[in-house]
Amino acid sequence: MTDSELHPYVELIAREARRPVASDPAARARVMAAVRAEPAPRRLPVWLRAFQPRPITLSPAVGGLLAAGLVGLGVIGGNFALNRDGRNPVGQPPSVAARLPVSDTVFVIVAPQAAQVSLVGDFNDWDASKAPLVRVPNSGLWKVTVPLPAGRHLYQFVVDGNWVPDPGAPVAGDDGFGRTNSVRIVGTGSAL
Amino acid sequence: MRLESKLPRWLVPPALRISALLLLCALPAAAQQDPYLKLDQNSRIAIEQLSDSLRQLGLSDRPLWSKTLQGIRLGVDNRTIVGAVRKKFTNLRTAFTVLGPVGDAELDAAAAVLEAGAKPSQLSVFKQRQKGRSDLQAFTVWADLIYRSVPGDEAATAITKLWEDGADEATYRRLWNDVQADISQGLNPGAALQARVREAPVRPAAAKPPTPPEG
Repeated sequence: MTDSELHPYVELIAREARRPVASDPAARARVMAAVRAEPAPRRLPVWLRAFQPRPITLSPAVGGLLAAGLVGLGVIGGNFALNRDGRNPVGQPPSVAARLPVSDTVFVIVAPQAAQVSLVGDFNDWDASKAPLVRVPNSGLWKVTVPLPAGRHLYQFVVDGNWVPDPGAPVAGDDGFGRTNSVRIVGTGSAL
Repeated sequence: MRLESKLPRWLVPPALRISALLLLCALPAAAQQDPYLKLDQNSRIAIEQLSDSLRQLGLSDRPLWSKTLQGIRLGVDNRTIVGAVRKKFTNLRTAFTVLGPVGDAELDAAAAVLEAGAKPSQLSVFKQRQKGRSDLQAFTVWADLIYRSVPGDEAATAITKLWEDGADEATYRRLWNDVQADISQGLNPGAALQARVREAPVRPAAAKPPTPPEG
């Protein structure tokens, strides 16, 4: 036992603490009566409740999935964010195909042995998946119709993975990569 | 770990499903969205500088990015892509210097003529704009003729003559068809062009562009 525990004040405090508390048995009833007397809070309409702040607790898994969903929305939305000039607000390189279509233009190539033919050009970002040609039944002819804006367009066909120029169109010379681009002029009454 | 959420029970499964669906949609989209990511940083900076230079001249940088994308889709190495873009930039700038302000398509076509091997002085004749006429066909046929082994001077002379005679688009188109057919039958490209140019109709109403006063 320490000296401080022997102090008379300590014994005095302990005695007071041990004394049973005599509470008023009617106090609880009075408090509850006062609470019941208060007007009940008005129930907000559903649409207004949607704007009321409330704490939400999420587990890491649910929170992560929601965050991933928001990222997904951002990515998908970003695809539509390119402006008319093709340059988006954050300075990314432009989508070179971002122009208004004005007329349907037909591209054909004879490739009887081919299993797959696509059209790539400056109008579809040179993406072979965007304009696959369809074989005309019982022939070696492949065809696709593409909406193109007026102007001069460079393109090639991708025949079974090999890029080839259109044999029926003028060429623009060396493309800088050891191949030649074909040229199609649209919107000036030209068939070139 | 116990999965717990204070979201209403009826809301959680749809929220999870929608989130997962968006994520699944976004992943391939994010992978395909920016093919330019295949460029290394130095190459990208180099191309962006060229692009900025072109825009400072008031020109569209679309041909440069198109060239870049083509190289990327072809799987060409970055150095070759930058080289091709730089060459394109040089030809566009030269064409602009020679022709002055023209449409994007015409400028690109003129750059292709230079790229094919024509001299800027040969292109300078076309600086004299003819009202209501586009030189797109003339430039396109010109570049093609050079590519098909027609001597550069002969191609320039032929196209310039037709242009000064006021040839319309159909005339250039017919010329290209005929010369191409002749070459494929084995004729000498230069001779084929000469013969077809002589046959080309001259529009009587066409006036030569005014010659600037000397001195």
